[in-house]
Amino acid sequence: MDNPYLPAPARIEKVTIENEARDLKTFQLSFVDNERLTDIGTSDSGFPIPATRPTTRKDFLFLPGQFGFLSLSGVGEAPFGIASAPHEDRVWYTVKKVGVFTTALHELEQSVVIGMRGPYGNSYPFDLMKGKDVVIVSGGFSFTTLRSTLVHLLKPENRGDFGKITCVYGARSPGELLYKDEIRAWESSSDINLVLCVDRLDGADWPKTEGLVPNVLKKVAPSARNAVALVCGPPIMIRFTHPVLKELGFAPARVFLSLENRMKCGIGKCGRCNIGTRYVCKDGPVFSYQELLTLPPEY
Amino acid sequence: MKNRVITKKDFPKFVGRLTNQAEVYAPVQVKDKDYSRFGRIKSAEEICFSHLNTKLPVKELFFPQREVLFEFKPGEHSQAQPPPEIENRIALGVKPCDAAALEMFDRVFLDKEYPDPYYKERRDKTTLIGIACNQPGKACFCTAVNGNPHGTRGLDLLLIDLEDRYLAMPVSEKGEKLVTSYPEAAGKDLENQQELASKATKAIELSLNPKELKNLLDANFDHAVWQELSLPCVNCGVCTYLCPTCHCFDVTDEEYKGEGARIRTWDSCQFSMFTRHASGHNPRPTGKERMRNRTLHKFCYFPKTHEEVLCVGCGRCITECPAGIDLRETLQTLLQTLAPGKES
Ligand SMILES: Cc1cc2nc3c(=O)[nH]c(=O)nc-3n(C[C@H](O)[C@H](O)[C@H](O)COP(=O)(O)OP(=O)(O)OC[C@H]3O[C@@H](n4cnc5c(N)ncnc54)[C@H](O)[C@@H]3O)c2cc1C
Ligand code: SF4
Ligand code: FES
Repeated sequence: MDNPYLPAPARIEKVTIENEARDLKTFQLSFVDNERLTDIGTSDSGFPIPATRPTTRKDFLFLPGQFGFLSLSGVGEAPFGIASAPHEDRVWYTVKKVGVFTTALHELEQSVVIGMRGPYGNSYPFDLMKGKDVVIVSGGFSFTTLRSTLVHLLKPENRGDFGKITCVYGARSPGELLYKDEIRAWESSSDINLVLCVDRLDGADWPKTEGLVPNVLKKVAPSARNAVALVCGPPIMIRFTHPVLKELGFAPARVFLSLENRMKCGIGKCGRCNIGTRYVCKDGPVFSYQELLTLPPEY
Repeated sequence: MKNRVITKKDFPKFVGRLTNQAEVYAPVQVKDKDYSRFGRIKSAEEICFSHLNTKLPVKELFFPQREVLFEFKPGEHSQAQPPPEIENRIALGVKPCDAAALEMFDRVFLDKEYPDPYYKERRDKTTLIGIACNQPGKACFCTAVNGNPHGTRGLDLLLIDLEDRYLAMPVSEKGEKLVTSYPEAAGKDLENQQELASKATKAIELSLNPKELKNLLDANFDHAVWQELSLPCVNCGVCTYLCPTCHCFDVTDEEYKGEGARIRTWDSCQFSMFTRHASGHNPRPTGKERMRNRTLHKFCYFPKTHEEVLCVGCGRCITECPAGIDLRETLQTLLQTLAPGKES
């Protein structure tokens, strides 16, 4: 029988240090089973691997907004949002060093094999977003699943399905912005209006805007007409972003947030990620602001 | 399915037949303690029916307090091990409340999307033989939460103690097979059973309106009564550990001398670490939020999702709470305080 608790072997193909504080690293993973062409479908010990527990990239089907668990034997497991887009070969996670698991992960280098299970949860509402403008608001390192979203939206085959794309992305200082090469390229692209901002420029000449995300969003003032907003960031940013979106005319049903309640199983059983009747791991992590207004404020 | 009779004289033989075909677990006296617990038995003499119920519900046979999910060698970060297979088992002497709780567990562990293979293996391989409650305890309230002292939900076979004999009521084919060779019950045995059942039911005083409770809890999340209700609670978590319907768990890794394992252990929503983020932020920071979550999970959230209360009225949390919190009083206070027209 299928065992959802077993991680699949995944190799670290590349590690990138993302910021000046060096506490944010992106891990690019590939499935080890991809390489074992001779025995795909069975594991080392001979029992078949069912497709519902993906152990190959081909079976690891996801949409931006979903997450996976990374596993280190002897250390444990932790959930992380998928930072790569569905069409990208490797699966990316950008991880901040905050505690036991993330510190152990940060010590690992290229070619080490770790465990990964998923993908779990829902995604951003791409069906709803079709044919509409997309406004992305992000602060700090939670930009990860929104990178996945942007790469997905900007893929030439997909770009035509969506209207104008506006993104306000901010960090404390220039050195803390993630995926610098990519966002520099997007800054000059006509496919997207990307406004990068930092709390303090301290004399730096990039990015061009100084200011807090909610204030910058107010100035950029994207139209709410036929638009969907995706918001991801620290609680304080989210708190100050809501009034701005409201002022711009975004209805609560058109604003989506991604939550990060503590998780252990990812499959609705261990009980800890609930917000009222909803489990963030299964029913989330993406919720409309409208739905959140009907739930207890336990996130 | 025909009801049968097993005389008390024949009972040891009956148990012997069970132990010949499967591993049999039943309430056994715990040494030097005043309680029993499910344990492996080889003969009827080891069974202890003198306590109202086992200290720990039968859930520990399906969802043990600590279990190995898989093993690994250090540095090996992924493994392909099937969940362990087990022998056929029989759980004998399960109270109707604890058996009903397993069907609630099934909703969580045997959902369509991610059925839990560890739980499923144990569930599939276990036959449940219940023993009816002729004398409910002081803290029992199963009838207030859709249960019954002679209830058969979740069981394969129910035994009813008729002094010199057991009436054996098959519930499933699996249960029926165990008793086909025994004589059919007489009309008088069934009359006796009916009488015992109605006496037992009457012994329980509390009655609740779960639907009203659900709606009131839903509408009054922020009510000040929660502060008051949670004051005596010391967040020890015993109510959740001993609860037959509490299913929350933790997953951690253990490593010792070159051997390691990923372990699943019972956890409790009454602990602050349960929900605390790595950043220190905690969605349920104090005892108030945590007690409210436990109560609402059982009487509001679960009913909203699964159409039934997540409580079987076994009374363990009432008898074991060191702070003397009585769930029945809590629920009645809530009903009285939250009902429209009452103070808010
Ligand atoms: C859906 C989702 C998406 C996420 N995406 C990202 C992302 O993209 N990038 C990112 O960086 N983070 C992300 N996070 C957050 C990330 O999961 C946490 O930062 C991570 O779990 C922290 O683990 P840690 O072991 O390093 O931290 P710690 O605080 O050390 O550890 C928590 C772990 O250690 C154990 N532990 C620590 N102290 C104790 C104690 N006193 N008692 C008992 N146990 C203890 C806990 O059991 C737990 O497993 C996401 C979280 C969620 C839910
Ligand atoms: S047993 Fe009593 S004191 Fe302990 S957590 Fe439960 S309600 Fe609180
Ligand atoms: S993480 Fe276990 S229930 Fe959501």
